[in-house]
Amino acid sequence: MKMLLARPWLRDVVIAGPLVLLLVGFLVIPLSFILWGSVEGTKLNFAHYARTLTNETNLKILLYTLRIGLIVTLVSLVAAYPVAYLLTKIRPRALSIVTIFILIPLFTAFLIRTYAWIIILGREGIINNTLLRLGIVSEPLPLLNTTFAVVIGMTHVFIPMAIFTMYSSMVRIDHDFARAAQILGAKPVQAFLRVYFPMSLPGVLSAGVLIFIIAIGFYITPALLGGPSDTMISQLIVMQMTTLLNFELSYASSIVLLLVTIGTLFLASLFIPLEMIWSPSIADLSNRPPSARTRALKGAKQVFDPVLVVFEMLVHAITKPLLTRKSRWLWVYTIAVLVFLTAPLIVIVVLSFSSSPFVVFPPPGFSLQWWEKLANATDWQASFLFSTKLGLTSALLATIIGTMGAFWLVRTTLPIKRALFLFSLSPLMVPVVIIATSLYVFEARIHVLGSFIGLVIGHVLLSVPYVIVVMSAALRGFDPSLERAAAVHGARPIQVLRLVTLPILKPALITAGLLAFLTSFDELLVSIFLLGRQTSTLPMKFWGDIKFQVNPLLSTASTFIVALVIVSILTVQWIRVRHEKRTSASANN
Amino acid sequence: MSTSLEMKKIQKWYGALHVVRDFDLYVKPGEFLTFLGPSGSGKTTALKMIAGFESPSGGDMLLGSRSIVDVPPYERGIGMVFQNYALFPHMTVAENVAFPLTVRKIGRAETEEKVLRALQLVKMTEYRDRYPNQLSGGQQQRIALARAVVFNPSILLMDEPLGALDRNLREHMKIEIMRIQDELNMTVVFVTHDQDEALTMSDRVAVINEGRLIQVADSRSLYYSPQDRFVASFVGESNLLPCRVDRIENGAGKVTIGAATSGVARLSGQLGGEAGWLFVRPEHVDIGPLGVIPNTENVLNGVVKDALFLGEMTRYAVRCDDETITVKQQNRGQAQLAGGTPVTVSWDAANCIVLN
Repeated sequence: MKMLLARPWLRDVVIAGPLVLLLVGFLVIPLSFILWGSVEGTKLNFAHYARTLTNETNLKILLYTLRIGLIVTLVSLVAAYPVAYLLTKIRPRALSIVTIFILIPLFTAFLIRTYAWIIILGREGIINNTLLRLGIVSEPLPLLNTTFAVVIGMTHVFIPMAIFTMYSSMVRIDHDFARAAQILGAKPVQAFLRVYFPMSLPGVLSAGVLIFIIAIGFYITPALLGGPSDTMISQLIVMQMTTLLNFELSYASSIVLLLVTIGTLFLASLFIPLEMIWSPSIADLSNRPPSARTRALKGAKQVFDPVLVVFEMLVHAITKPLLTRKSRWLWVYTIAVLVFLTAPLIVIVVLSFSSSPFVVFPPPGFSLQWWEKLANATDWQASFLFSTKLGLTSALLATIIGTMGAFWLVRTTLPIKRALFLFSLSPLMVPVVIIATSLYVFEARIHVLGSFIGLVIGHVLLSVPYVIVVMSAALRGFDPSLERAAAVHGARPIQVLRLVTLPILKPALITAGLLAFLTSFDELLVSIFLLGRQTSTLPMKFWGDIKFQVNPLLSTASTFIVALVIVSILTVQWIRVRHEKRTSASANN
Repeated sequence: MSTSLEMKKIQKWYGALHVVRDFDLYVKPGEFLTFLGPSGSGKTTALKMIAGFESPSGGDMLLGSRSIVDVPPYERGIGMVFQNYALFPHMTVAENVAFPLTVRKIGRAETEEKVLRALQLVKMTEYRDRYPNQLSGGQQQRIALARAVVFNPSILLMDEPLGALDRNLREHMKIEIMRIQDELNMTVVFVTHDQDEALTMSDRVAVINEGRLIQVADSRSLYYSPQDRFVASFVGESNLLPCRVDRIENGAGKVTIGAATSGVARLSGQLGGEAGWLFVRPEHVDIGPLGVIPNTENVLNGVVKDALFLGEMTRYAVRCDDETITVKQQNRGQAQLAGGTPVTVSWDAANCIVLN
């Protein structure tokens, strides 16, 4: 201990070491393997790139991926904006209720949600059955295995994300700005369009970038909901690697996907600080001087001003009767969105009590047969136990590594602090499929492929950024004089940590741990590549069964998982609220 | 228990910035010493170095007879009250106060007894099971004080502890802190930018500006005999008029004030022929209608520019040639002088000093 204190650099190495080791050892080095392999090493053969970009099928897939990414991003943003806006205006109690309705879908595994959409959109799914019964159509509409299904499924995944990302930056915009505009004579529409909306744009942009880079790397939804022509680039990469066994080509495709992602992030970085995308509460926009781009934007705005004025008058005339003090229409819309988000989950829960041996909705009767089957299904139990063990191990490691890393990132005085923070978030920037394939190749080389530790490494890598985001936000809000007060009154550094710092950070630690656990618990792609001959994880078991057959047992398993997730979210929320009530800085008397 | 604190040529550099320069200071056991200075003057940095949060770039510091420069904060045995109190939000009042004893592994019974005594000292015994956020600012302040003194620290540091309180509470806490210091006979180093706090509470005040100790003296000498223009203007209100020392007579200086008026003032080391600033407090200046010649050494004629009625007194700004002289006159029923009235202002030689 004394030795650690005497040499600050040594302390930094101990605190930051595990994080740096993880990121460099299992992200940077595997990625460089991929890069190196894509040009066949010293041969510098660029033929695979040429093939990726000129082969008609491959190019089509790339363009399709970008198109879907763009559509899904725009639809999600537009659908989520009014909800995020409403959330900034409502009271804490209403806020926490609406938040729970958004959090639950957000933390429900992609696979489960996609499964629900299969049931809803299928040939004999809920929508087609309803339409047929009502006599609106004479034969089932082809809904499943279409681009439409892919967009619906992905939008469903991204709307909660869009709401939260936009909300967390929009909540910091003072509504008094818009009020000031109105008292100065702006009509409500003008106040919104000219004052509030421009201020909310950084939040919208960061949500957009977040969604776009995840969307173009998406695997599960297009694979299950799309048709043969709806192949996205992640599927292509997996196929090239596992079916065609053309490793170099898959490397080249991976690098192309990575470059698109990096390009997107670079463009975004011209407008917003990148860390805002993942941790909106951290970035500070206020003290950035207006850049050349914002000036250019201003010029453009002036040109369009007459058009804008006409548009405003028009919207004002239309919306005037709709604008009420209680924003009733916003509420109606928000509830519609919430129904869209939760309906699939409800379908699944209802199906789990079906008395029918098939997936029929609404079920003909109530029965617990599927719950009994689940209770006796040893393969599901084994998967559940294995996933739990894997999740707990990964969450524990990720929380320790990430928390230590966050301490270092927040408190270091290195001038490259910001770059280091962004680097620590890099597992969130690299598409998961690339992390999965690069780890697959790398772990095979260092002979940990197919082992438990190999799998844990993959999951820790994916969840550590979430821990860092949560913990560094908490640490930045941490009053440093508390640690000083402890030290000057006689607490040794270890005592300060044990008695003051960690207890105060407890809610953040629990949140970080839960996020890490859920990340691992829901993870599919990395597991597919790194699992080897171990027991299937829950998502893999799911994945195998969906592809094989869709039966109510899946609904029952899903319901069970969703229930677990809800309980853990509520528990954590409860702990947080209790802790915050006690420790909030303000004296309320 | 009280201990002396000695700073010897203490320096602090932040890069190229010299924030604390040549601090030479001896704080007697049981003395209440205040660092007074504007924000950014280096007073807080000096306090942090005493606490051990910053290490000095040069010089030595003794607590009693022991050098503490290389001692970490937790081994210095210092008590401290922070600006925002820094009470641990997850601990009750009793746990907060017990903290210094807990980390020193003091036994249950002794801890219990000392906590009770500390809480009695600050009159907060009935709040022992509350959490800090259930207390008002003034109550938090008391708890912070109890925590800082519970383990009989060798010295108590206070970093602008009254800054966050409202006016009435501040007045009250000033007296409370003085009472507790007196009761425990504790050495205190108090940091503030508020001259009222400094003058009321301290045995001695160390005025700090731009990292330098400008003057260390008790409140009275600081107020009546500042050694420096900065001290004169920072502590209390003052008039500073450009002047020239013509010659020295009986230890006092015959001076020319402004352009031509002659007067007499105390000197602070100036020689004949030197230029300086004549310092006089507004309450030492008498004011009367023009023509009534007062029997004092310094007399100037002018015109009332502003007259502000403040209740207990009236504050005049009087224009005399190029200078404006501020005058504070106690209101005892005398006639008020309206703006534009020609007046004579005057003061005794004993009440004014020539400063460099």
